[in-house]
Amino acid sequence: MHNTIEARGAGAKAPAPSSKSALRRFGRALAPLPWIGPAVILIVAVVLWPVFEMVRTSILRISSSGATIGTRGTGNYRDLFDETDLVAVLLRTVVWVVGVVLVTVVISLALGQLLNARFPGRRVVRWAVIVPWAASVLMTALTWKWMLNYYYGVVNKVLQGVGLIDHPVNWLSNPTQALIWMMWVAVFVSLPFTSFVILAGLQTIPEDVYEAARVDGAGRARTYFQITLPLLRPSLLVAAIINVINVFNSFPIIYAMTGGGPGSKTDTSTTFMYKLAFTGSGDVGESAAMAVVNFALILILVLLYLRAVGWRGETKS
Amino acid sequence: MKRHLIGVIAAGLTVTLGLAGCSKGSSSGGGGDSKTIRFVAAIYDDKTKSLWDSLIKTFEAQNKGYKVNLEMVDWTQMDAKVKTYVQTKQTPDILNYNAFADFARDGLLFPTSDVLSSQSSGDILPSFVDGDKYKGTQYGMPLLSSVRLFFYNKDVFKKAGIDAPPKTWDDVKADAQKIKDKDKGIFPLGLPLGAEESQAEFFMWAMNNGGGYVDPSGNWAIDSQANVDTVNYLKDLTKSGLTQPNPETTDRKDVFNEFAQGKVGMLNGAVFMPAGFINKVNAKLPYGIAPLPTKTGAAPSTLGVQDFLVAFKNDGGKKKDAVSKFLNFFYQTNNVANFQKEEGFLPVTKSAGAVISSAVPYDKPFVDALPSAKFYPTGNAAWGPLANTVKEKIGTAITAKDPKSVLSELQQTAQKNG
Repeated sequence: MHNTIEARGAGAKAPAPSSKSALRRFGRALAPLPWIGPAVILIVAVVLWPVFEMVRTSILRISSSGATIGTRGTGNYRDLFDETDLVAVLLRTVVWVVGVVLVTVVISLALGQLLNARFPGRRVVRWAVIVPWAASVLMTALTWKWMLNYYYGVVNKVLQGVGLIDHPVNWLSNPTQALIWMMWVAVFVSLPFTSFVILAGLQTIPEDVYEAARVDGAGRARTYFQITLPLLRPSLLVAAIINVINVFNSFPIIYAMTGGGPGSKTDTSTTFMYKLAFTGSGDVGESAAMAVVNFALILILVLLYLRAVGWRGETKS
Repeated sequence: MKRHLIGVIAAGLTVTLGLAGCSKGSSSGGGGDSKTIRFVAAIYDDKTKSLWDSLIKTFEAQNKGYKVNLEMVDWTQMDAKVKTYVQTKQTPDILNYNAFADFARDGLLFPTSDVLSSQSSGDILPSFVDGDKYKGTQYGMPLLSSVRLFFYNKDVFKKAGIDAPPKTWDDVKADAQKIKDKDKGIFPLGLPLGAEESQAEFFMWAMNNGGGYVDPSGNWAIDSQANVDTVNYLKDLTKSGLTQPNPETTDRKDVFNEFAQGKVGMLNGAVFMPAGFINKVNAKLPYGIAPLPTKTGAAPSTLGVQDFLVAFKNDGGKKKDAVSKFLNFFYQTNNVANFQKEEGFLPVTKSAGAVISSAVPYDKPFVDALPSAKFYPTGNAAWGPLANTVKEKIGTAITAKDPKSVLSELQQTAQKNG
């Protein structure tokens, strides 16, 4: 890629080349196209074009029936920022993303360590940890919804049985409780991926480093914080970024368990975006504006994170 | 080697995606043939699909060369699907839905007079026709209707020492308190204000307090004093623990199920409750049916609902003939009557009404309530978006500190949309 550009640059600078050799140079510059072309087309088709469509839709006037009537300029954005629920939804999104990713990573660090240790039946435990990953997220969310059901749910029965609560609780109706339960489900489905990334990271740490630490007389805690954790940095970086993106975009858990309700008291910006288009007064244009905002948010979030963890240093080393 | 493989895969994917894109773009409506129509119908219960299948089979046998492609959509998916159809210009030729005015406003529909014979349209019960019109022209054809009445559990009432169903809101509260005192395991009043059908539940209470969505002159009046009082009354019942917990997140099907199991004392029920809920669980449930209670004991109104068939003008209207043939076939007395009877809904045509009311005695109180029924303002283009917003938000009014703010927000939604 790099070479191609340089070659083309050199060709352009050459003083008045004969038409024949210019043609040949042009041909040479095009030579890599058959190889990179498909990838470029793919990126344009599945990444750039949808982004363009999203931005274009966000300035269209689309009637409640779904018909496109014309353009609207910034009107959809004005409507969006006038939504009374928007600020609460955005704040909740931050709580949702930060909370879920943080708890996931902390638990996964422990799980990864466990899976890395040698003990009888390790293989079975590793399989068991993968199960929530293999199951569809929607299925998991629905199962939890039924388990938390006020009338028949098993969670109330169990908690009553062990005496933690004395009467059934309607978990998913209280916005705060519902959000905590849904965050738990999000953690539950994020654990397998995260702990396996960390496990992979642990396995790349050479045994001799630990040996050296032992020789120097470092205790367990010190070994963990000064050797294991720093060497896990690349894996943690990958795990955290992918989780931030996944959790931010997570739709099925909230949609299946509370539908973002009551009102939009348990919505994140992702489910809120869906509801702007398809429920409520149903404005596809305003929803597209929300999509643009979401897109910008996730970009900013990832860039901030990369900056905070010193991403450049990481890739150069 | 590996890189080549990736390149091949990438190229393959690109071609596939490109083709998929093309095929989606080129088919608008339901295919090229003017004798083949696409019909999107809603699932009312397990029987709906087989009812349509057999109707379509008969139609295709009687009209050689014509074909109807049926697509069934669940009600919970319907709003999103319909919006996507319109947005992507893939509207079906005939759609079974609960709103039509914004399609009519955007010029997407055939007027009824274009596709339904005057004989068939003259057969539609006059009480429905007003709700079928947008700006004076009829676009909606009623498919079926339902009327709501007050259901109560006779056993629960007897146990609590109540001998007659409540007539006023004070009665409702007093009776609910009696039930609560007698039996802790029963929810005295079922009050579903969750997203499924809260626009109906709210309307039934509001209309019996002189409120509703529009004032007598047809202007939006959602934040009227009568409606604020209604919400405050429901809020008080909830706070006093006389309803099931958290009405704001309870869907209608949940309380209907609880009622069928004998765990709810009374609620606003619907004509399809026995067929859809009670008979499946306990056909012997001793329930009574009464008019809806009103604030002061004045003459009660009730909610009438009609669902529609609408015909979309696809491909410059070249399928008008086929659409019209199918609709006229469906509105033949026996076809429409059989469909409504099997689904447990009320008739929408005079001739089907005559067939059904003699066949199903259970329907009588509902048919009798029809003249006093109030309908949603379906002829207003803002109704579709408003109804969806009400479903989402009205429940939060009974948990809000100031219910009026929620109602004002809904009022603004209505005014913004027309």
